Amino acid sequence: MSNQKKKHFQIEAFKHKVVMDPKYPDKTWKILEDAIHEIYNHNASGLSFEELYRNAYNMVLHKFGERLYSGLVATMTVHLKDIAQSIEAAQGGSFLEELNRKWNDHNKALQMIRDILMYMDRTYVPSARKTPVHELGLNLWRENVIYSSQIRTRLLNTLLELIHSERTGEVIDRGIMRNITKMLMDLGPSVYEHEFEKHFTNVSAEFYQVESQRFIECCDCGDYLKKAERRLNEEMDRVSHYLDPETEKKINKVVEEQMIENHMLRLIHMENSGLVNMLCDDKYEDLGRMYTLFRRVTDGLLKIREVMTSHIRESGKQLVTDPERLKDPVEFVQRLLDEKDKYDKIINLPFNNDKSFQNALNSSFEYFINLNPRSPEFISLFVDDKLRKGLKGVNEDDVEVTLDKVMMLFRYLQEKDVFEKYYKQHLAKRLLSGKTVSDDAERSLIVKLKTECGYQFTSKLEGMFTDMKTSQDTMQGFYASHPDLGDGPTLTVQVLTTGSWPTQSSITCNLPAEISALCEKFRSYYLGTHTGRRLSWQTNMGFADLKATFGKGQKHELNVSTYQMCVLMLFNNADKLSYKEIEQATEIPAPDLKRCLQSLALVKGRNVLRKEPMSKDVVEDDAFFVNDKFSSKLYKVKIGTVVAQKESEPEKQETRQRVEEDRKPQIEAAIVRIMKSRKQLDHNNLIAEVTKQLQSRFLANPTEVKKRIESLIERDFLERDDNDRKLYRYLA
Amino acid sequence: MIFADGITLLCNDIQVDPQDIVMLVLSWHMKAGTMCEFSKKEFTEGLQSLGIDSLEKFREKIPSMRSELKDEQKFREIYNFAFGWAKEKGQKSLALDTAIGMWQLLFAEKQWPLVDHWCQFLQARHNKAISRDTWSQLLEFAKTVSSNLSDYDAEGAWPYLIDEFVDYLKENGVNQHGQINDSSLN
Repeated sequence: MSNQKKKHFQIEAFKHKVVMDPKYPDKTWKILEDAIHEIYNHNASGLSFEELYRNAYNMVLHKFGERLYSGLVATMTVHLKDIAQSIEAAQGGSFLEELNRKWNDHNKALQMIRDILMYMDRTYVPSARKTPVHELGLNLWRENVIYSSQIRTRLLNTLLELIHSERTGEVIDRGIMRNITKMLMDLGPSVYEHEFEKHFTNVSAEFYQVESQRFIECCDCGDYLKKAERRLNEEMDRVSHYLDPETEKKINKVVEEQMIENHMLRLIHMENSGLVNMLCDDKYEDLGRMYTLFRRVTDGLLKIREVMTSHIRESGKQLVTDPERLKDPVEFVQRLLDEKDKYDKIINLPFNNDKSFQNALNSSFEYFINLNPRSPEFISLFVDDKLRKGLKGVNEDDVEVTLDKVMMLFRYLQEKDVFEKYYKQHLAKRLLSGKTVSDDAERSLIVKLKTECGYQFTSKLEGMFTDMKTSQDTMQGFYASHPDLGDGPTLTVQVLTTGSWPTQSSITCNLPAEISALCEKFRSYYLGTHTGRRLSWQTNMGFADLKATFGKGQKHELNVSTYQMCVLMLFNNADKLSYKEIEQATEIPAPDLKRCLQSLALVKGRNVLRKEPMSKDVVEDDAFFVNDKFSSKLYKVKIGTVVAQKESEPEKQETRQRVEEDRKPQIEAAIVRIMKSRKQLDHNNLIAEVTKQLQSRFLANPTEVKKRIESLIERDFLERDDNDRKLYRYLA
Repeated sequence: MIFADGITLLCNDIQVDPQDIVMLVLSWHMKAGTMCEFSKKEFTEGLQSLGIDSLEKFREKIPSMRSELKDEQKFREIYNFAFGWAKEKGQKSLALDTAIGMWQLLFAEKQWPLVDHWCQFLQARHNKAISRDTWSQLLEFAKTVSSNLSDYDAEGAWPYLIDEFVDYLKENGVNQHGQINDSSLN
């Protein structure tokens, strides 16, 4: 190998100048322009993507992007104008189809064009701040096709007409509707809104205004609501099939406003089919529909609630003030319970357990139950009836259900202390006559009252039960320690602790000799084991079983009150007795004696005595005989009346007075409690606090509270402030 | 102890009617416990506080004591003092007749147009003794509430008796000048 000569390589610049062909941009553009034509003419298959892309690329590279872009705009515009014309030429039904088809074509073309011009799209377009190709294509479509004067209105009208036909029951091509609306949405959110949606809602509003007016003139409430519901469902269906989801809430609002909101009051108050009618007839389906529909509009439920409340209050008020109804307390209360059940069901089912409705129901019941001042007494009588016989044979769960319902009524009472007084009286009678259906039921109710009102409410009631039990034990002890009494009359004594039992004035009468001797034995026995106590016989509350033989030998066992026993036993030693003689012998107070003699002589089937003269009233000069002709189908005849009854007027007044008296110390205790903790408080706030504290028992009368305050000032518990006479201070 | 006789003598000496209201003012100065009685302590200390050591000075002091009733604050003190002073020893309340007498005396000094209606009302409707609270609150009532009752506030924490009085006046149509229209009261 010979020595290689080192060669220097020199790289020299191109000496060969590249001269741009001045016709280059035009030529290149022509190629592309032709390609676009082909694409629009569905001849794209013959084109070479690679070549076109390269051409476009080169143009941009050689700084001819501007030329390319403007060329694109011009070409597309021309095509679109052609397209617009062909669409305009379409007849009738094919208008939309043609539009749709051309749109699809345009999109395909646009896709291809963009692909070809992708380099420009990515480089020239952003730097020159031009609209990207795809968007440009849409804008041009919009401007040249949609906004074309011939097409714009025709498109809108066609759409609206089709929708109208569908609303009137015709079937339309939903597919094409869908495509068209989708096209509008693709063209930009405001296009859909301005070219279609806005007009759609306006026209719909008119449509529904007319329709609702037509319906309301000829339909009843239930039917109208059904129609409204159907229309709403239709519109939702329409939206889901061929409208933008955003349109749903707008069209709903239109339908709700036109069909429901504008006619709300008229529907509710419609005669014979409106809300009140639905409530009375328990039309659950209609009520449910009304609830669901009205819930959609402002104040819809409020209106329903208002009308329901005033209806319940009105009908409740009639119920409690109707003199017919007030004759039977048990019926009265049952009716209240039935009303409550009815409305509970209504609120539960069609009204969706809506709490605000439940509250409205409660406040209405509270309102009208307290309109009748005898409600507490009647509720207690209802309970008495149930516990005496109504719940006989009923299983435990059902008993609980009934008692819970009673408790629910009890909660509505504002004068709970009045109820307590009556309940105590009635319970006493039940216990003493041994006439309670179930001890468990009694105790269960006491527990419920305790839970509701606290220990103090029921402590005395429980004391009554304790006394009964203790008395049983005492009697056992008595007879165990007096075995010699086996032959004589059997005595059962109930020893009642004063204070636990309702207060009665105890005027004793003269007991028959055999009985009083026995009673004395008991008294000394009892006081022997309980020194320091005092016993007083309550002869107006006892009863006795007497075996009687009448004139023709008929034998009966008579169940009588103690007073009645005293009277009857007199006839063991006399055939005839005058009223005066009976009165002297027994020392029973006159009104009681008269009642007693009436029940012995004037009641058919129980007239063990005969009165002369046979008049209805018992007067001083009457004479009494044993009724030898007395007969009864039963061996055991019940004459004694110690059953709880609705009070007479004077009795009612007396009870009311006692309640008022009992309230005074309670008010004072509340005042002292509050003042002790606050140290000082002004007049109005003190009244408010006291009322609040006593609310669970009764509604405090502000005048009464004021009197108690003054009484406490007098007794130096409180004083007025020297400077502010409305301020009270607690004196320790 | 000075009792009624002694007081009559005293009144003679100072030339004042025993029924004169200035005797009440005097008793107030003496902090007397009960009307128509002065203990030695009350008498001597009272005179001392008034700076009286002779009958002359006593007589001279009378007009100024009378004028004390014109002072708002002093009148109130004297008025409230009168309750304890006029009532029976050991009683909590003031007998109605005595109260009415005292009110007529006191409100002759300090004009209150409704005083007669008040007394009539009490005799017609109340007929029981007057409590201290009612006594003291009545003065406030007379001072603050106008005689046509236009500014009477039912929520004003007035004693119950005064509320009843207002009702009574309204029932019987008291007009602007505090005159009752109902002639049945005459």
